[in-house]
Amino acid sequence: MLLDIAGHVLSFSFYEGLVFGFVAIGVYLTFRVLGFPDLTVDGSFALGAAVSAVLIVDGVNPFLATLAALGAGLCAGLVTSLLNTKLRIPALLAGILVMVGLYSINLRIMGGANVSLLRQPTIFLQVSEFLGLGTRIAYQLTVAGVLAVVVFFILNWFLRTEIGLALRATGDNEQMVRGAGVDTDKTIILGVSISNGLVAFSGAIVAQGQGFADVGMGIGMIIMGLAAVIIGEALFRPKGVARLLLAVIGGAFVYRLVISIALRLGMAPGDLKLITAVIVIIALAIPFLQKKIQRQWLPPASRW
Amino acid sequence: MNENKSLLNLRGITKVFSKGTVDQVTALNGVNLDVNSGDYIAIIGSNGAGKTTLLNVIAGVFPPDSGEIILNGRNITGLSEYRCARYVGRVYQDPHVGTAAKMTIEENLAMALLRGQPRGLRAASNKQRRELFRAALAPLGLGLENRLSTLVGTLSGGQRQVVSLIMATISKPALLLLDEHIANLDPRTAQVVLDLTDMIVKKEKITTLMVTHNMELALKYGNRLIMMHEGRIVVDLGKEEKAHLTINDLVAAFEQAAGRKFVEDKILLRR
Amino acid sequence: MIGSQFSPGGAPVRRICRQPKHLKEGGEKVKKILFVLLAAALASSVLLIGCTQPAKEPGVYKIGIVQFGTHPALDSCLAGFLARMTELAGSADITYIQRNAEFDFSLAATIAQSFVAEDVDLIFSIATPTTQACAEAVKGTNIPVVFAAVTDPVAAGFAESWEKPGGQVTGASDWADVEAQVQLGMDIYQAHRLGVIYNAGEVNSVVQIDVLKAAKGRLGITEIVEATASSTADVYAAAQSLVGRVDAIWVPSDNTVAGAIASVVKVCEENDIPLYSSDVGMARQGAISGAGLDYFVNGQTAAELAIRILLEGEDPGDIPIATTPMTIIYLCPAAAERMGVTIPPEVLARATEVCEK
Repeated sequence: MLLDIAGHVLSFSFYEGLVFGFVAIGVYLTFRVLGFPDLTVDGSFALGAAVSAVLIVDGVNPFLATLAALGAGLCAGLVTSLLNTKLRIPALLAGILVMVGLYSINLRIMGGANVSLLRQPTIFLQVSEFLGLGTRIAYQLTVAGVLAVVVFFILNWFLRTEIGLALRATGDNEQMVRGAGVDTDKTIILGVSISNGLVAFSGAIVAQGQGFADVGMGIGMIIMGLAAVIIGEALFRPKGVARLLLAVIGGAFVYRLVISIALRLGMAPGDLKLITAVIVIIALAIPFLQKKIQRQWLPPASRW
Repeated sequence: MNENKSLLNLRGITKVFSKGTVDQVTALNGVNLDVNSGDYIAIIGSNGAGKTTLLNVIAGVFPPDSGEIILNGRNITGLSEYRCARYVGRVYQDPHVGTAAKMTIEENLAMALLRGQPRGLRAASNKQRRELFRAALAPLGLGLENRLSTLVGTLSGGQRQVVSLIMATISKPALLLLDEHIANLDPRTAQVVLDLTDMIVKKEKITTLMVTHNMELALKYGNRLIMMHEGRIVVDLGKEEKAHLTINDLVAAFEQAAGRKFVEDKILLRR
Repeated sequence: MIGSQFSPGGAPVRRICRQPKHLKEGGEKVKKILFVLLAAALASSVLLIGCTQPAKEPGVYKIGIVQFGTHPALDSCLAGFLARMTELAGSADITYIQRNAEFDFSLAATIAQSFVAEDVDLIFSIATPTTQACAEAVKGTNIPVVFAAVTDPVAAGFAESWEKPGGQVTGASDWADVEAQVQLGMDIYQAHRLGVIYNAGEVNSVVQIDVLKAAKGRLGITEIVEATASSTADVYAAAQSLVGRVDAIWVPSDNTVAGAIASVVKVCEENDIPLYSSDVGMARQGAISGAGLDYFVNGQTAAELAIRILLEGEDPGDIPIATTPMTIIYLCPAAAERMGVTIPPEVLARATEVCEK
């Protein structure tokens, strides 16, 4: 019985870690790889959910609807990066402006605050029908897992191509990149667009997983993404592109696991958020304390 | 023999900073310069003479207020920095500026290799390119060819500057701009880098402009010496002319051209 | 080197303390003109704001309607209100300004402020959070507020008592018999551990949970397991957290959960957990049972109160808070089947409404 529950908690957290992991990867691409603080995320996550939900209700194939959501996210990122590179609006502000604008746009797309997907075909249902899997969290986990693997391989390959390398270098030393003949405006536009495409993709999947799309579901996504990236880096200490991508997904998993555990412990409902924060602090403190006990050298804290 | 074909022509280049305010300064004042293919020019001058601004204008970091820059017959005035990069390889005084610390030596060189070429979805680094990088790094005798996967951020300043130099030249640019590139290095490393510079410039026959504070260096290396003062070129010596000069001769030449006493301690004490 | 320097030839190339005179004067002049224009614009807009209110005509009324969010119960309320208003308005000319806060608490406050600024004759507010915002916004004015779909106006703080609200706010409460709703569920399948999902930030929900806790003994429940969600996005995870810990789930009349009810239905169907609802609007989205009032009637009742205030000049503080009787019992055998239980025939006989699929 206990094993059953533990199994459910873990598999649900795995599932959430994977689907929200796309958000974490998107945030990683902008904040860490490009050095571009992109706050569009809260808006593009809901945008992906809205676009896919409306298309599915209209009868469009859910896989196509999810891809359309990805496209919508690309557009959102395009706008943010254009505002920054061409109109010279500071990155932080550009992201906020687009995020705020997307709230109204999402309301218009959905024709209201939310759209139900309960009896609609979703990518999960389609796959489970095709493969004859059960209708429990297991099949959602499988589908999410497959998608995560595909995205991981695509990104891992892309970041090692000539263009991908230029993207990574832009966040590291923009002047060097220009000196190497690369238009850094273009790399930023490309990177921010891809990032928001991924985030919108995540929003579409989450909406199909939970059975509805809601205009407010993006609120707090940027925080979740950043927390996932930072937790992943602190706990797994990855080196190299491939390990970093995995670490970021791992960070998302840990974050969602913490929330699941806090919910299950039956904490007084209002205290949930505080408990979550405390557990994350403990999780981050462990490697630090380990080092201290072993009297290893402790580097100074990074700002973010 | 095409040795003396004109590679770079600067006509009437003027650049004024902070125009209309108290801090207005004319960094370049109607500079005219003809650089021939194969030239190795040492540029010397006091602080504020305009040496770095000259390099910046050639590299496209900012456009001149007036004047023209012609490279290989093409007018490149006003081209943005990343477009000019096709023709220009640059090494800065600060070893951190020219390299990306969080990427490996291999990745940095891969970035530099494609300077001026369109980038696509091929793998940035493959076996052939790695061989190329090793071949470029091996002659230095620093062992860097075996450390392609080392993060550049972990290298010493001198090693980073060496990598910067290889990066600047590996794409075989038309022009190499060196902006006091050994100023921040200790004497031993500086000598290594200088010898390396000499070797590369001679071997690849890259037209080079080297800005330096060191008069002795300026006299020893290169086939031409230019001295700048307050945005103008005041002294321009060819190979034969500078071959027999001493530092005192140089100072005298400056004073004659500039019309005032030469009182730059930094340059004088660096002999 | 700083200091006046001279190029060969003698002309100074740098001026230290003097700027080209014409440039300086021109720039200063432009700045001055802009400043004056800006000040003038600010001053005139301040004056204009005070002057835009037109004189009031008798027999012409403006009603501001604010709805907390789009979900069936609240939509029903609005429909009932408008229908009854049209029936009772007679010769009065009434315009309605309809705004929806889409579950955003701060937007609700902004909408309330906007109605005050537009000097409406009455505000009709649907749901507790919006009414709280309106009650705050109309302080210092004499705009009355009529609410609908508010569970406990006294607990929410905008009425002193049910008999005499004593203020500017009155309305039709949707106070439902929580015990009866849950009992209906227990009659279908008795749960000893009952899970509840709600937003702890909604006063109306907390009130219902308190009533439930007080009655749990009578309902045959040994343990109530709570899961909270502070926004619609958290509801799915909250529902998942109850899996394995409860025998059934009951959802109170909670605006946040109502917006995300689809995810609760999904979890319950996937894990064979019976889902019982409080109000019928939510129940129709996939729960096994729901018992409640007809929100359409609730809206109609609110309209009757509004007419008394507008056309008969009654003071809202003196009008007792109206309640709407629970007339609908909704049952869904299909949903029961999806969740692994069967509705006993004698219970099914009590239904006034049965689901189609």
